[in-house]
Amino acid sequence: MSRSRWSDYRWRLVHAPAQLPSLHMALDEVLTASVGAGRRAPTLRIWEWAAPAVIIGRYQSLRNEVDARAAQQHGIKVMRRISGGGAMFVEPGNTITYSLYAPAALVEGMSFQEAYAFLDAWVIEALRSMGIEASYQPLNDISSPLGKIAGAAQARRHGAVLHHVTMAYDIDAAKMLQVLRIGREKISDKGIASAAKRVDPLRSQTGLARAAVIERMIDTFRGLHGLADEPLKDRELDEAQTLAKSKFETPEWTGIVP
Amino acid sequence: MHGEYKMPGGKLVVADLEVRDGRLSQVQVSGDFFLEPESALEWIDNALNGQPADSDEQALAAHLKAALGERVSMYGISETAVARAVQRALGHTP
Repeated sequence: MSRSRWSDYRWRLVHAPAQLPSLHMALDEVLTASVGAGRRAPTLRIWEWAAPAVIIGRYQSLRNEVDARAAQQHGIKVMRRISGGGAMFVEPGNTITYSLYAPAALVEGMSFQEAYAFLDAWVIEALRSMGIEASYQPLNDISSPLGKIAGAAQARRHGAVLHHVTMAYDIDAAKMLQVLRIGREKISDKGIASAAKRVDPLRSQTGLARAAVIERMIDTFRGLHGLADEPLKDRELDEAQTLAKSKFETPEWTGIVP
Repeated sequence: MHGEYKMPGGKLVVADLEVRDGRLSQVQVSGDFFLEPESALEWIDNALNGQPADSDEQALAAHLKAALGERVSMYGISETAVARAVQRALGHTP
């Protein structure tokens, strides 16, 4: 297989109204498979959140990462996604999350590090156009001189690559720290004392409304690679709703690494 | 027993395990690393179960490498990092 280019594809945009966290998890799995099978063109999906959630990585231990009682007190659902990486805390309006679903050929022959940088290059450009000195920070972060802005995760399935990113727009760091357990070992080589300092709100650095940041991101992607709307098909949505119930809302999946 | 190791420039690897009759059992490796394919985590746990509890880091890492071969891709984690988290769970290394 030889490497393809962005311009080999007619990129599609999915930007649906707010959906439940479990449906977002399921849509990532369904759309990755759809793109891998050629049923859907490579797609950028912007997430809108209908409810707060903690999303843990595929390989994280549920009890090590989440304070279940604090999460319940705050009415926060705990979900597990299909990609690796770390836990994230989301409330509607406080993050910007997106997924890219692309044929694996787009990153063929690249190291993981190269593939992360490559699939986020358009976002770096969008952030710079909004005045943020953003750069890709291996392994999987987007950072500015003022701190971390976003974390990315990838998963390879069915001949496709899923690349999804959550950017901190305006995080309630105090609440986040009540719900997530962030251990000392994890930040041992970063030379920082407080995990709260690791999340730097996009809002303070751009002065823009969340919707305006999203619009700029979409415009940047469209300018670089082309982008046409293609809403979720009924079949995709049905499949994702079924999968949300049968997999992502079950304690067996959430606790698969207890 | 519980051990954690953050690979410098990499990700956190956590090992939870028991020792039965001098061998590792109920090993659960976890963390915020990236692994392909998805089932690789189970392969890692299975490979560690039954290993002598007095194995050193090098021996555990070598055993993991042999068990996983070329079928696993890791990002932010290595066989040596997993072995070190296990060593820490066992109380063997700093």
